[in-house]
Amino acid sequence: MTDNTPHIETGPLEINQALLKKRNAREIRFRLYGLSAVLTAIMVLCLLLTSIISKGYTAFEQTYILIDVRLDTETIDPKGTNRLEDLAAASYKSLLRAALREQFPGIEGRREKRQLYGILGTSADYDVRDAVLDNPKLVGTTATIAVKASDDVDSYFKGYISRDVPEDNRKVKDLELIWLDTFQADDRIIKKFNVDFFTNGDSREPEEAGILGAVIGSLYTLAITLALCFPIGVLTAIYLEEFAPTNRWTDIIEVNINNLAAVPSIVFGLLGLAIFLNFFGLPRSAPLVGGMVLALMTLPTIIIASRAALKAVPPSIREAALGIGASRMQTVFHHVLPLAMPGILTGTILGMAQALGETAPLLMIGMVAFIADIPSSMGDAATVLPVQIFLWADSPERGFVEKTSAAIMVLLAFLVVMNAIAVILRKRFERRW
Amino acid sequence: MSSAMDMQNFNIINDPITSEPKIIARDVNVFYGASQALKSINLDIGANEVTSLIGPSGCGKSTFLRCLNRMNDVIENCMVEGRINLDGIDIYNSGLDPVLLRARVGMVFQKPNPFPKSIYDNVAYGPKLHGTVSNKDELDERVEKSLRRAGLWDEVKDRLDKPGTGLSGGQQQRLCIARAIAINPEVILMDEPCSALDPIATAKIEELIDELRKRFTIVIVTHSMQQAARVSQKTAFFHMGEVVEVGETDKLFTSPQDDRTQGYITGRFG
Repeated sequence: MTDNTPHIETGPLEINQALLKKRNAREIRFRLYGLSAVLTAIMVLCLLLTSIISKGYTAFEQTYILIDVRLDTETIDPKGTNRLEDLAAASYKSLLRAALREQFPGIEGRREKRQLYGILGTSADYDVRDAVLDNPKLVGTTATIAVKASDDVDSYFKGYISRDVPEDNRKVKDLELIWLDTFQADDRIIKKFNVDFFTNGDSREPEEAGILGAVIGSLYTLAITLALCFPIGVLTAIYLEEFAPTNRWTDIIEVNINNLAAVPSIVFGLLGLAIFLNFFGLPRSAPLVGGMVLALMTLPTIIIASRAALKAVPPSIREAALGIGASRMQTVFHHVLPLAMPGILTGTILGMAQALGETAPLLMIGMVAFIADIPSSMGDAATVLPVQIFLWADSPERGFVEKTSAAIMVLLAFLVVMNAIAVILRKRFERRW
Repeated sequence: MSSAMDMQNFNIINDPITSEPKIIARDVNVFYGASQALKSINLDIGANEVTSLIGPSGCGKSTFLRCLNRMNDVIENCMVEGRINLDGIDIYNSGLDPVLLRARVGMVFQKPNPFPKSIYDNVAYGPKLHGTVSNKDELDERVEKSLRRAGLWDEVKDRLDKPGTGLSGGQQQRLCIARAIAINPEVILMDEPCSALDPIATAKIEELIDELRKRFTIVIVTHSMQQAARVSQKTAFFHMGEVVEVGETDKLFTSPQDDRTQGYITGRFG
């Protein structure tokens, strides 16, 4: 081919120095803006984490008091059967109280006595019982047993209650401080890892309250959410992306899905209340209904993420499969879907993480009730982690402050794990073509 | 059909004699929505020879190619009118399942597009899909035969379990050809199969096309007139959605009848 373009004479390129300087300065300025934005974000994150961890780490410890309990056979096992059932049925509270009175003789009057008993946790007698059940030979001896201190005593030893505060405003009174000092002088105050926090349900008593009920409730709820919205979401995305014709109807559907993703979550809660509870009469406060409501909320997220993942599969793969005589369904299920799966799973996990942290819609369907039992099925009344945090943050007792932060840490740990799984899936199954 | 009738037919459409047409296209119109991409195409594709379709970009040659195995079906708003017969069967109007059609009319695309699976699975996919092999041994045999025919066996026989996407561009394209011939099609459509390849890989593919001609009917779309001259026996020149001229490749390139053909092959446009 001949080149007919006329040759134009040009002089050497002249650069306007002032303009160049300005341009470079602008580049640098923009980079600095970006850097400062990132630093601000990191600082805020650090502040948040520091505040939560510094407030919450103490919840993983619990103060115990070592008390010499005289485990006399008369009270525990009067018939001498030595069977575990009989040992378990005995009243250890009175033994514990007797032991306290023995430790501090001269306590008279109902008020002082109650005050004395109050330094132990409300279910401290279970600690004694468990010790006896662990080792039935203790019956008839005097054993030193670690029993749980009450939440106020626990707070005092964790440094949350100051002695300098006037007695009227202090949860631990002067008299109690004297007893506690005596215990401390005898090295009878110990701190143990708070296993109960991970194995108990909710309780009115901070020292007894645990996170397990909320964790199980969250797991049940998420299981329902996943079981509902993964298949529905993925099938919707496949249909819309691979099969549906582009016309006014599919446009309307698409716009609506995008809008639904932006609807405030509490609206979904109201919808669940009106339809699932009032119309269909499903149980209140149940993970079943919670999961259904969260599924409604998560569906748009999953559909949008799945469609994006399907769209990212190059059309050449579809052509290759079709060209070899695969039907459209075979094309999708043999080739397109496996390639889109990492993206779909990432979107699903992120949607699940969002559902895990959701509170507002669950308040509407009654998952905000105080539930001490650990739910054993999808239909049982239950609460979930973020609602548990909300409940504890709302409680007046000093002991719940650290529990709140600890529950936040548990929730964040779950979220971090889920997001990490999403990242790993993406990295591992990412295909290059 | 007698050969006299054939001649008559071809005379009407200015087509040189094709003794055994494999595919007959008559009055084919293709519309993308309101715009017409192909205007009344009449073209015969001879059996066991290479027909190349040349023409400037957007002239409709790829569109015509994709009509031959109904790949246009998946494009929305695409409407095909007219008659295309494969061995006397109307592929659009006789109720022929497009999936079965595509098993008989294979296709190789412009960009090598192996599945992101192993080399073995790439070739074995078609036979497995159509159930044309009954056991693993037959499948192994089929894979080996297809790879040998595609001239790829010696290069990949030690790494059949490695991903097909890890091969070089030319090897990938030969893998795609092996994948296409693994289901024993009668016709192979090639849509600019060498446009993404370097000259050496191109030469290999061209050699391969010449080899494959003995068993398959091949239709190739190409932008390179040298390639058309090298590999094809018949050439059809497309321009603005019409077939301007069809003929023996040698004749078409040496003594084109139409001014537009003349202009295109001498490089005045396109």
